[in-house]
Amino acid sequence: MEPDATEVPVPRPPVGLYVHVPFCVSLCPYCDFVVLAGAAARGPRSRLASFVSALATELELRADRLDGAFGPPGSAGRPALASVYFGGGTPTLLPAGEMASLLARVRERYGIVPGAEITVEANPGPAERGDPAGLARAGVTRLSVGAQRMDRAELRRLGRRHDPDDVADAVRAARGGGIGSIGLDLLYDIPGDSGAAWASTLDRALALAPDHLSLYALTLDDPGAEGLTGPAGDHLPTTAGARRWRERSRPQQDEDRAAEQYEHAVERLAVAGFDGYEISNWAQPGHASRHNLIYWRGDAWEAAGPGAHAFDGRTRRWNAARLDGWTAALAGGPGRAPALPPGGHEEVGATAAAAERVVLALRTERGVPAAVASVPPLVDALRWALDAGLLTTTADDRVVLTTRGRLLSNELFSRLV
Amino acid sequence: MTERAGPSCYPLRAHVPTPGSGAPADSDGAALVTPRGPVIPQERLRNFSIIAHIDHGKSTLADRLLELTHTVEGRQMMSQVLDSMDLEREKGITIKARAVRLEYTARDGRTYGLNLIDTPGHVDFSYEVSRSLQACEGAILVVDAAQGIEAQTLANVHLALREGLTIIPVLNKIDLPSAQPEVVMEELENVLAIPREEVILASAKDGTGVPDILEAIVERIPPPHGDASAPVKALIFDSHYDQYKGVVVYVRLAHGTLHDHDTIRLMASRAEAELLELGFFRPQLVAVKQLRAGEVGYVATGLKSVRDAQVGDTITAARRPASEPLPGYQEAKSLVFAGLYPLSGEDYPLLRDALEKLHLNDASFTYEPESSIALGFGFRCGFLGLLHMEIVQERLEREFDLDLIASAPSVEYRVELTHGRGALAVDNPALLPSVSEIEVIEEPWVTLNIVTPSSYIGALMELSTSRRGAFLGMEYLDPQRVLLNFEMPLAELIVDFYDQLKSRTQGYASMDYEEAGYRPANLVKLDVLVNGEPVDALSLITHRDKAPTVGRQLTEKLKELIPRQMFEVPIQAAIGSNVIARETVRAMRKNVLAKCYGGDITRKRKLLEKQKEGKQRMKRVGSVEIPQDAFLAVLRMGDS
Repeated sequence: MEPDATEVPVPRPPVGLYVHVPFCVSLCPYCDFVVLAGAAARGPRSRLASFVSALATELELRADRLDGAFGPPGSAGRPALASVYFGGGTPTLLPAGEMASLLARVRERYGIVPGAEITVEANPGPAERGDPAGLARAGVTRLSVGAQRMDRAELRRLGRRHDPDDVADAVRAARGGGIGSIGLDLLYDIPGDSGAAWASTLDRALALAPDHLSLYALTLDDPGAEGLTGPAGDHLPTTAGARRWRERSRPQQDEDRAAEQYEHAVERLAVAGFDGYEISNWAQPGHASRHNLIYWRGDAWEAAGPGAHAFDGRTRRWNAARLDGWTAALAGGPGRAPALPPGGHEEVGATAAAAERVVLALRTERGVPAAVASVPPLVDALRWALDAGLLTTTADDRVVLTTRGRLLSNELFSRLV
Repeated sequence: MTERAGPSCYPLRAHVPTPGSGAPADSDGAALVTPRGPVIPQERLRNFSIIAHIDHGKSTLADRLLELTHTVEGRQMMSQVLDSMDLEREKGITIKARAVRLEYTARDGRTYGLNLIDTPGHVDFSYEVSRSLQACEGAILVVDAAQGIEAQTLANVHLALREGLTIIPVLNKIDLPSAQPEVVMEELENVLAIPREEVILASAKDGTGVPDILEAIVERIPPPHGDASAPVKALIFDSHYDQYKGVVVYVRLAHGTLHDHDTIRLMASRAEAELLELGFFRPQLVAVKQLRAGEVGYVATGLKSVRDAQVGDTITAARRPASEPLPGYQEAKSLVFAGLYPLSGEDYPLLRDALEKLHLNDASFTYEPESSIALGFGFRCGFLGLLHMEIVQERLEREFDLDLIASAPSVEYRVELTHGRGALAVDNPALLPSVSEIEVIEEPWVTLNIVTPSSYIGALMELSTSRRGAFLGMEYLDPQRVLLNFEMPLAELIVDFYDQLKSRTQGYASMDYEEAGYRPANLVKLDVLVNGEPVDALSLITHRDKAPTVGRQLTEKLKELIPRQMFEVPIQAAIGSNVIARETVRAMRKNVLAKCYGGDITRKRKLLEKQKEGKQRMKRVGSVEIPQDAFLAVLRMGDS
């Protein structure tokens, strides 16, 4: 969908589904996602079983609502899903059989188009990578592996338990198991980083022939300070240890080094045949994440699981992050029917929504049509960015970020919001 | 600071109904001029001030006097009754002079009317002190029995002696274990020639000696003289603005009797007004029918502009005017100047209104519009000193809800132009003519008195030398403490001299200064250029020898404070076209949100909105965005 400031948003049926699985073997000190680790994730006191059952209930309740609003799946007003995405956390901690039955329920209640993208995030350690063959049999087409770095010492510095060899094993197992598209996540600008260390991680990752790469500058946020960790917030409070780690690491980051690392990646990946289709994402032809494009194109998606966000084209809605409250609502009780979990929502005004659509679209390589760049109120900011060399106009008359523009995109985006 | 007051709940200037509007009317009218007692004849009036160094207990003693004379009942009592401004309570200082009428039945069985005229205690406000003292015949000198004489003690005593006042010396805080009354009495005797037998030992905190102070006021301070039947002459020593009563002036009646139905005339402004009300301060305003020669009270003029009833003017009665006004006061003289600018340009009209209103209550600062390339539209303001500047800025921000930015404080230079083209006064460094047009620049000097433990003499010598100061002499107050005299350019004093003085002496030294005329100096204007554009708000005038150091400090500090922009930004310090220091802010390389997936969109939009707000709060110099903090930090820069 092309951004258009004059459009009045109306609710639309989802074309994608995001499912959040909030369990990991251990917590990473830089991670802000809704995650529980340790006994909650593994062993006799694991909360996976009750989670799966509550998740099934949420999927049913959400489907009921969509049926009411848009008709049953397959009807004219209710297209089947083009993408399902299990994020986390470490969704591969769920047994492949559970995944299969969840997907079967999704297929029944939401519809899934033939050839849909079905992604599962995975961690590479032997205890957490799951059973890729089983996942493939369940219908999973894409695996996104949290490799982060390809050097043991660097991984330890990030608080990661796996080794570079584990990444190679995970990729091999996925390929062997029949997963058709494999992505790796990598981090740069980590404490003690250097250009050479980053180049080496990138080369070693490329040697595994991934189909997709997500490259993220390490981001050390404080969701508490942003007011996101309250009882209805979509984030969990940062642990004291993680907070200390972030405070220690912040001064070890370096803007110039990060920019050079990004620029190196742009060049190196172009040579390797990758297409940088979004600020932080590169793919081999045909392997761009269709799910993530839903977000950037402003399409509608449904979501389930603690802390998960959904969008219907008009309203952004989220579940509260706390597993207890989420489970309690969905489990119901004596005299209390299962109910949708607590959370929040936000309706973005027409002007803000238009700006948001432009910002998201500009994150991608398609950018926005040149015509959008000449419509007030965005015209001044976009013209400024064209003059400053952050934007450029393509042959097919679209406006896109330059490499410098990607690195300095907030300078433009903060003028658009 | 001594004890702190609670929330400001006592209605110091409560609206008291005027006679005729339901006020307590006395049966025999003019015979009863106060609501509480009979007319007090002139020989039983005493007008006095309390003078003290800051923190020596002036406000606590005033509180105790009010309590003991039942002027303020216990249930209404709170500390620092006379300091009604929140700022005064917080800083533990008196900013504005106040007056209060006490009625005291002395040991001789007779009732006396005591007018206490409060005085500010900080060096910046010695002008207000001298005004208050002119309305008095006596002064209570409060000295902390543990601290001894401080710089402000000396300054205030000299002011009081200049006015020919009777001084009642009081050693306060004798209840403290660290009190050394013997040593301090010795100091008073040696330094101020105050005989020890005159000294009253007291503790305002626990009440010790306070009855003796009241007796001493009655016995030692002479009653005012002045002819109650002569034409009215009343000196205005302070004023405030009341939205119902107009300008309320505080007066000391030198001669004559003022009645509540009189039409008054202000002799300097020639304004006339039917007076709305007159009365005493108890300390709230209490209306009476008449004020007689020797009294201290207030007159509600109904005038809408303080310019019509300025401090120092003489009030007379229109029906039988006096022929000559009283001598009046010298006008308050601004020593420190700075530009005040609203943080956001659209607040300019609010700032203008705020200055106008504040000026009604504090006529001792000046303001006139100016504009700056870097800061937009604002006002050039003149202040009595740095503390005064801080207070005015804080009052504007608090009482009028403004966000302000102040340019670097400056003194007023005198510039003689070349080729006999005359002279001009420059209080804004940005307006200094170019070097080739200047024959001579003169700057104001001060003489500085510092009282300090003798162990810090070395440190203070060094400090004053680094500020182009000249040592004049020293005098031992006692074996441990010494009075140092320096001369110094005022410009060197206003940067952060006081803070340095305190930090280098662990807070033990105190200081006071007096103007000492203008002297020529080898001064230059140092401009700061950001990306080649001069930032007028950062221009400063400095001694040529110091310019390289100051220039280097300025550019280094700015390099730290100016965030990286999308292009490289050179920062230069220059004298004319001669660049003497340079730093570079490297271009920004990266400002990007790494992740922006479904769950991030709302959060990241808020983050971008915050970045946008941050940018909007920045000031633009050419194409460079400079945070307010950069200006503030440069303002606070001193040599460390």
